[in-house]
Amino acid sequence: MRSPAAAFAWEFGRRHRWGFIAFVVYFTVLATINVFFLGHRRVDFDNVQTFALAVVVPLATSFIYFLAVFSYGLAGDLAARQSMYPTRLFTLPVTTNALAGWPMFYGSIAMAILWIAFRFLGVWPSDAYLPVIWPMFLGASLLAWTQALTWMSYPLPGLRVIVTVLWLASIDAIVMLALHFKASEAVMLAIVVPHVPLAFLVARFAVARARRGDVPDWSRPFARVRSIADFVTRRNDDFRSAARAQMWFEWRLHGRSLPALVAILLPFELSLLFVFRETPGIVFEILISVLFTPLFMAAFVAATVSKSNLFMTTRPLTSASLVAAKLKATIVSTVVAWLFVLIAIPIGLRLSDTSSIVMDRWHRLLDSFGSPHAIAIVLVVLSALVASTWKQLVHSLYIGMSGREWIAKASVFIALSFLGVLFPFVHWLLRSRVAMAYLWNALPWIAAAFVAIKLSIATWIAARLHDTQLVSDRAIVLGAACWDAIVFAVYALLVWLLPSILFRGYFLALIAILAVPLTRLSAAPLALAWNRHR
Amino acid sequence: MSDAVIAVSELTRRFGAKTALASVNLSFPRGAVYGLVGANGAGKTTLIKHLLGLLRAESGSVRIFGRDPVADPVGVLSRIGYLSEENDLPGWMRVDELIRYSRAFYPGWDDAFAAELRETFALDPNAKIKTLSKGQKARAGLLIALAYRPELLVLDEPSSGLDPIVRRDILGAVIRTIADEGRTVLFSSHLLEEVEQVADHVTMIRSGTIVLSAPLDAIKESHRVDGRVPTLDEIFVAHAGASDADA
Repeated sequence: MRSPAAAFAWEFGRRHRWGFIAFVVYFTVLATINVFFLGHRRVDFDNVQTFALAVVVPLATSFIYFLAVFSYGLAGDLAARQSMYPTRLFTLPVTTNALAGWPMFYGSIAMAILWIAFRFLGVWPSDAYLPVIWPMFLGASLLAWTQALTWMSYPLPGLRVIVTVLWLASIDAIVMLALHFKASEAVMLAIVVPHVPLAFLVARFAVARARRGDVPDWSRPFARVRSIADFVTRRNDDFRSAARAQMWFEWRLHGRSLPALVAILLPFELSLLFVFRETPGIVFEILISVLFTPLFMAAFVAATVSKSNLFMTTRPLTSASLVAAKLKATIVSTVVAWLFVLIAIPIGLRLSDTSSIVMDRWHRLLDSFGSPHAIAIVLVVLSALVASTWKQLVHSLYIGMSGREWIAKASVFIALSFLGVLFPFVHWLLRSRVAMAYLWNALPWIAAAFVAIKLSIATWIAARLHDTQLVSDRAIVLGAACWDAIVFAVYALLVWLLPSILFRGYFLALIAILAVPLTRLSAAPLALAWNRHR
Repeated sequence: MSDAVIAVSELTRRFGAKTALASVNLSFPRGAVYGLVGANGAGKTTLIKHLLGLLRAESGSVRIFGRDPVADPVGVLSRIGYLSEENDLPGWMRVDELIRYSRAFYPGWDDAFAAELRETFALDPNAKIKTLSKGQKARAGLLIALAYRPELLVLDEPSSGLDPIVRRDILGAVIRTIADEGRTVLFSSHLLEEVEQVADHVTMIRSGTIVLSAPLDAIKESHRVDGRVPTLDEIFVAHAGASDADA
């Protein structure tokens, strides 16, 4: 390895070899299917989902992976003001042109290979027109801009994400517009090709600035806001117990993320009510998306909640107490996020003058179900959303608490594999009346099997908690009793709400048992102890 | 043995094919400063992690104050003050918040002593940990490790990469701790001059094996050459081998 160019290439190849190997294996399989089974024929996909699964998802996944790899985005902090370009490379005896240029060059080559491979080896619908050259340059230009904008240092935290998303979306919008007006290949090339040298110039500027340590700072105008926020959240009194101190620690570290994210998104979502106030259907879609916002954002926050570190593990608290502090902080986090939603919705409806649309629907619900049932339905839906938000925050706690990266990666792989199997299965199921009927009849047995698995695992976990004395016997019994009470309450509610002709009582009992979290939550102290005492 | 603050018996630990600790036996009675020395990768941190219960004894046993640190982390950790090279204090906390937070875990927390240490170390209570220099972070870590007057103070390479003034503070803390009757310090370092200044007893570890464990004076006396008492540095080179010493 005698040149910087070869060194850059070697580092990308060595560091991400498994990702690239997976990419090559995937294309080998795809090419084999395409050449030997389909004979290069185009395919008539039955529906959009199958096309998405066969073509769009693998292409988009590979594209995003390449973006992350070649912009060094897998290791840096997206929200930070500082450049994401690795500082260790700044001391290499190479020019800034080389620092910015080689990753961009290899990234562009990778993007070109990605498109060529998909274009010629992938399975495509028979009616699709597939250009060769300009999409290659589009991939390269999107990558080049991603690199330039992630390597740039910014005056405010989080600005990188906003600028990058808006800029890439603008390029996409221009391309979509050109396609809409059926622009020729030459026009498409004229639109996308100049982006690559332009992005290189910006990237070169960004790397040069980062190399000399320049980070612009606009935080001074926000200092007053920050000092107010600090004053509000600052802890000035003493903690009454270690458990309270740890709860505060978790709240400050992770608890505020979900309410903050929800609070940022709500004004944007609710502002759409002003735009679509004349279209009741869209008003309802907006409200539904607002109601699902905490649940959706909780999926992102969950990864940070389940993290642990040396500071936390050396606190003189039991593993169960450390987990309990996390659980309590997530409960507060969920409640605060939902308070924002429940306060913001009436304000949004009132200001946008769309409350009459909601009231109209509410009266129709009252007419259809009667007051008690209608109120109960709304309360149940809301409670289910709140509980699901909390569940989303804590359901992967046991994975993060284990501190094993391989468990986290394996769980993602298993989840994706499961989804990969589930989608075609559901697609097949929906088309087969016989299978649907069989499934409907077997549903209680399937639910019973899941309940048996869940309770067996829960029993094993309880026995381990007892043997290791991580949780006292009293706490285990109390926890089991609380879980029973919640299951019974959910069961009673389901019996009251759902018609007994469609759903038998025992089936509803099974559903209640499956709905209330037990095993994953109770496994968290075991996982933390396993991590804490390796 | 029953009076030992630290009692390690036949402790062996492997990470894959590498043996990090091989049949380690130690017994440290109360009320002295124990220096743990060895080259990088010799097994000092692995041993200390076992003492804190962060690693489970695969074979052999570890007892701190007669307790198993894995089975009873609260009972053990609440009596240990710990400062590591890997300063992992939460950067988002302010110094006064860190003090209030840490105070909640230790019934024996001494507010006056904590305030005195904060003054001595010139720590701004309003400063966020992430804005402190490396030396100031080490001082903040030292403050919360000392302020409850722990029975056992464990310092894992606390001076690495720090300036002489902070190193002096750390050594001062060791001296303060042993001034309190019956307290014990385990001080791991490869800065042998520092260990020599404060340690009563030195344990040398090489490739996971204890090669020497004796009072410092006895070690020096037994290595006397032609009437000259060697430095700990020279003794270390003689035992650990030139290659390890270079490391």
